[in-house]
Amino acid sequence: MSSEAVVKLFFREAIARAMREAMAADPRVILLGQDVGDFGGSYKEFVGLKAEFGASRVRDTPVAEAAMVGLGVGAAAAGLRPVVSITYMDFLMLGLDPLVNYAAKARFKTGGQITAPVVIKTTAGAKGQGVAHSQSIEAWLMSVPGLKVVAPSTPADAYGLMKSALRETGPVLYVDHKRLFPMAGELPRGEAFVPIGQAVVRRVGRHVTVATHAYMTRVALDAAEQLAATGVEAEIVDLRSLAPLDIDTVATSAARTGALLTLEEGQLTCGVGAEIAFQVRERVPSLKVARVGALSAPVSSNPVLEAAVVPDASRVAAAVRHLLQA
Amino acid sequence: MIYSLAVPGPIEDVEEVRVLEWHGEAGRAFAPGELVVELETHKALVEVRAGQAGVLRRILCPSGDWRAVGEPLALLSDGPDEALPADAEGLASLAVDFEVS
Repeated sequence: MSSEAVVKLFFREAIARAMREAMAADPRVILLGQDVGDFGGSYKEFVGLKAEFGASRVRDTPVAEAAMVGLGVGAAAAGLRPVVSITYMDFLMLGLDPLVNYAAKARFKTGGQITAPVVIKTTAGAKGQGVAHSQSIEAWLMSVPGLKVVAPSTPADAYGLMKSALRETGPVLYVDHKRLFPMAGELPRGEAFVPIGQAVVRRVGRHVTVATHAYMTRVALDAAEQLAATGVEAEIVDLRSLAPLDIDTVATSAARTGALLTLEEGQLTCGVGAEIAFQVRERVPSLKVARVGALSAPVSSNPVLEAAVVPDASRVAAAVRHLLQA
Repeated sequence: MIYSLAVPGPIEDVEEVRVLEWHGEAGRAFAPGELVVELETHKALVEVRAGQAGVLRRILCPSGDWRAVGEPLALLSDGPDEALPADAEGLASLAVDFEVS
């Protein structure tokens, strides 16, 4: 009903809506990427934008990620607000030099005379596509001063975080996940923003805090259901933003539950969980802590091996039980 | 006999669909193979065709509304005047053919 305060959209439509509103409001917003034009994006998340805003603002690029990110960063420094779509996060490796060495440092290097408000929108995660199309390497980029990193787990956050990213003065890495695209969810009917740097509690519980992000939030919620059947109440914190990290929300929850499990799809070594666990323990020294992440192996194109490498709800539930018995 | 037309499946990765367009209103008779309703998934269109003859009697999910796979979209019947139940509970499923494109 049009009178309701919310509207239900597919995940891809939430991204398209944020783009459409931003492009309508600000002529500096442009979109660059492979198949973003007539094809409408690899996940159909840009459908209609070229027809509405024209080929000069929605530009298909060759398969050349270093050039795509370089172009976006340069255009941002020159006054535009580009969104550069890198289909799979694995390919962002080719564009790290302009992103890390130029965009993230521009404001510091020039005493604030040059900023690079570029949004790199990319898709992480394992979903049957093998070793070089499946990685979740957002932890690599959390440590770059001047770069913000966000990772939505719902259509509402996909919309609201993109809206906020397009108002930033510096670069933002926006990471969604292949397995989120089948989702639909409710968004505010009116324009809305999700602040960058603010985690959210998705499920309240009193025995253990699970801090996670992106698709793993859904895995954590499934694990919480399994645990609830055996009387264990897990509190699920969806980080939403990895840089800056909302340690306050995680630490407040963990101080109350006394146990923290971090959950990520990427590697544990120097991962999101390692950083969170350390920072939370600085504030809550007596805390029980454990981490769950991918096994130390590439994500295979063999579906059995893929499922063996990335965490699932049963593994999360087992890790929680083990942590609480420790 | 009264039948329930449900969201067909399974369709890979699809949990929920949105009704794009009904091809007819209550009262229209469908022959086998005729397009009854088009559904949108997160990345595709689903054409749902009648797998048996039937009369569309009541649309339970209008265009723009959402249903999960397996949930009822409409009631159909063999004849045009058979009395309808209050809901789709316990009804036989209408045979359908569907194509994802």
